Amino acid sequence: MKLSELMPGETGVVTKVAGTGAIHRRLLAMGILPGTVIRVARLSPFGDPIEYEIRGVFISLRKSEADYVEIDRIIPLHMVPAGEKVRVMILDGGVNFIRNMGSIGISPGKIIEILSPCCPMRVRTALGEHYVGKGEAYRIYVR
Amino acid sequence: MLIALAGNPNTGKSSLFNAITGAHQHIGNWPGVTVEKKEGTITFEGKKITIVDLPGTYSLTAYSLEEVITRNFILEEEPDVVVDVIDATNLERNLYLLTELMELTDRIVIALNMFDEAKKKYKLDVKKMRELLGLPVIPTVAIKDKGIKDLLHACLHGYFKPKKLSYPEDVENRVEKLQRMMENLDLKNKRWHAIKLLENDSEVRKKFANLGRKDILHEAEHLRHEIEDIYGDDIETLIASFRYSFAHGLFHEVAEPLNVGGVTITDMIDHVVAHKIFGLPIFLVVMYLSFEFVFVVAAPFQDAIDLIFNGKTLASGQHINGLIDISYHWMASFMPNWASSFINYGMLRGLAAVLTFTPIIMFLFLILSILEDSGYLARVAFLMDKLMRKIGLEGRGIISLMLGFGCNVPAVMSTRALKNERERELSIALNPLIPCGARIQVFAFITAIFFKHNQALVMWSLILLSMGVVALLGYVYSKTIFKGKAEPFVMELPPYRVPSLKGIFIHMWEKSEGFLRKAGTIIVGAAGIIWLLAALPWGVQFGGENSYIGQIAHFLAPVGAPFGITPESIIALFFGFFAKEVVIDVFYVLYGTKEALFAAMTPLQAYSLLLFILFYTPCVATLATIYNETKSTKFVLFVILEGFALALFFSFLAYTIGSFLGVGG
Ligand SMILES: Nc1nc2c(ncn2[C@@H]2O[C@H](COP(=O)(O)OP(=O)(O)O)[C@@H](O)[C@H]2O)c(=O)[nH]1
Ligand SMILES: [Mg+2]
Repeated sequence: MKLSELMPGETGVVTKVAGTGAIHRRLLAMGILPGTVIRVARLSPFGDPIEYEIRGVFISLRKSEADYVEIDRIIPLHMVPAGEKVRVMILDGGVNFIRNMGSIGISPGKIIEILSPCCPMRVRTALGEHYVGKGEAYRIYVR
Repeated sequence: MLIALAGNPNTGKSSLFNAITGAHQHIGNWPGVTVEKKEGTITFEGKKITIVDLPGTYSLTAYSLEEVITRNFILEEEPDVVVDVIDATNLERNLYLLTELMELTDRIVIALNMFDEAKKKYKLDVKKMRELLGLPVIPTVAIKDKGIKDLLHACLHGYFKPKKLSYPEDVENRVEKLQRMMENLDLKNKRWHAIKLLENDSEVRKKFANLGRKDILHEAEHLRHEIEDIYGDDIETLIASFRYSFAHGLFHEVAEPLNVGGVTITDMIDHVVAHKIFGLPIFLVVMYLSFEFVFVVAAPFQDAIDLIFNGKTLASGQHINGLIDISYHWMASFMPNWASSFINYGMLRGLAAVLTFTPIIMFLFLILSILEDSGYLARVAFLMDKLMRKIGLEGRGIISLMLGFGCNVPAVMSTRALKNERERELSIALNPLIPCGARIQVFAFITAIFFKHNQALVMWSLILLSMGVVALLGYVYSKTIFKGKAEPFVMELPPYRVPSLKGIFIHMWEKSEGFLRKAGTIIVGAAGIIWLLAALPWGVQFGGENSYIGQIAHFLAPVGAPFGITPESIIALFFGFFAKEVVIDVFYVLYGTKEALFAAMTPLQAYSLLLFILFYTPCVATLATIYNETKSTKFVLFVILEGFALALFFSFLAYTIGSFLGVGG
């Protein structure tokens, strides 16, 4: 789906940045790239432009610009209620973070089950039951 | 020694520049363009250092003027050191530009600015960053002058062994291949050129086409397609991804986030201030209060300057002498009267006019700086964008237009905030149509005499008409003469900050000083010309019917008739060209009392005159400022013609319809 179709509060991961020329290059330079996590912060009074949060920064994009960006909808783990089974999509952190999460069975593609809600969260992975803290749950994205 | 400051917009480059150079700075333009260039010179450890503030950029593509200026400066002027000013609270995105800078030069010092704020957000390992980059990394807090000495020290004695980003082998091979083809070219920094060719950079391609190296261009094209096939995406996305993964990796190596998931103060403020429904009313209130503030504070200064120089004519007709009168009499005692009159009632009066403008310019820029530095201006742009786009401007355009209600001079100066050249010109072309404070004063004076019972209605009709005309012309202009292609609007909404006093005062001073120096001479010159027309032939009443201007007005009387405009009004309009509020004084001089003025015109004629005053040429100060901002006489002429065309159109329309219907006659 297109980034412009995402609703306020929802999160997506970029799959493609289409287009050519200045706008395309500017989007890339701002760090909107395949794999980037992006959240809709709020709409302006006329619904255009839209404010997004990306890499910890708030930016405003016109709808026509957000139309260039293809995304998949994802959910930050801390927002998932207990009892759900979800697939891990993105770990938004450095190598240490990715390694630590991998060691408890949380890595992209894996299915995990939420046992108790955030935070800390109790989850069941292929490697058993584990606690996930707030600092981590906010950086794990699932679907 | 030459040091260049580069970095993303809003990282504190200007603050750092101010902290380093203090008062020793010079503001100009980059050759041939209106992008501001700041230069300063200091002596540090006995060495003379020149510092240049480069425009803020997110990357170094060929798509924007700022980016081309920045990279060409580094390529061609070869600064001894490039200081990359990084916003440490926003490390990852800022490191992207660093990867590009590192391809241009080895001699980079990193200023990790906003370190005070960053410490609250991350645990930062500066030492590790130094090691991983092989470059000096200096934490700074520009607004508190912290880290400046260390930064300069690093520029002089730093150790530069950059560990550059290398692309995947498939890409590196091809970069090297292109580099080898450039071997016998007299070209610095071949690797950068090779990468830019692979990126399909229009400027660099032009360069090679000019060198007659079509072979290299063809090869680059071929290699680019190979890379795109291997990775299955377009080259721009690929190269940006490689650079970002370097930035991402480095960021996570050196920064440990603190309190993830917390709500920031900025977010809480924006919850209200950038709100879908409350945002616009809040904006209107902020602007209203700002204007109240400016007028309340600036008006006494302006009145005082006016009183000191021009004295005051009391309602009884008695005149209290001001400096100009006193100086005239004094000089007349040892030089011919006409010479003393020219010096005092011509030039000195011009100077006084320049000075009376200054308080309002200073205070409007004070407000503008506060709005900008606090981060609110970006929210205004966000809130207003959709609306303003209908008249061909981005959201920030609203600010320049609104400032116009205060004074068109700072309003025109403020269009610099618009990055897009076409939008700047459009904004400048529309601005004089907004009635400034001086014109509104004249409206209030005339309506109070002629429209006692519905003064507010008449005033509002004028203001709403001007807004309607601006909207309509903006729409038409943006589709015709100021048409342009879409440019990225992608804009950052920086965290709210308490603006630094020093930054605000420097900005205020820069703008006021710029106005005094550049527009001042033009205004004083114009005052001289006006004197010649009003005082000659020598011996006539100043601006009276026998003066040149009186004769011109008499000559133009038949032209004014279809509009209901009297010869006396023509004289008043002529002086109004100098400064709009002068129209009031001229009427006093010509008619003596309000009653006489009331008897001289019908209300319909008065309304027609009001419409004329609303639109006809902007004052000299505004024209001088427009010239400074555009450096184009053609543009100035365009604005004058535009004003007269609208003035004639609306006066004629109102007077004809009114006469036909028999109203106000
Ligand atoms: N807290 C903090 N604020 C800063 C620092 N440096 C600059 N600022 C603020 O950041 C904003 C942008 O600064 P400015 O110098 O205009 O950035 P430029 O756009 O890069 O020239 C202003 O509000 C400054 O007061 C710093 O080191 N710490
Ligand atoms: Mg700046």
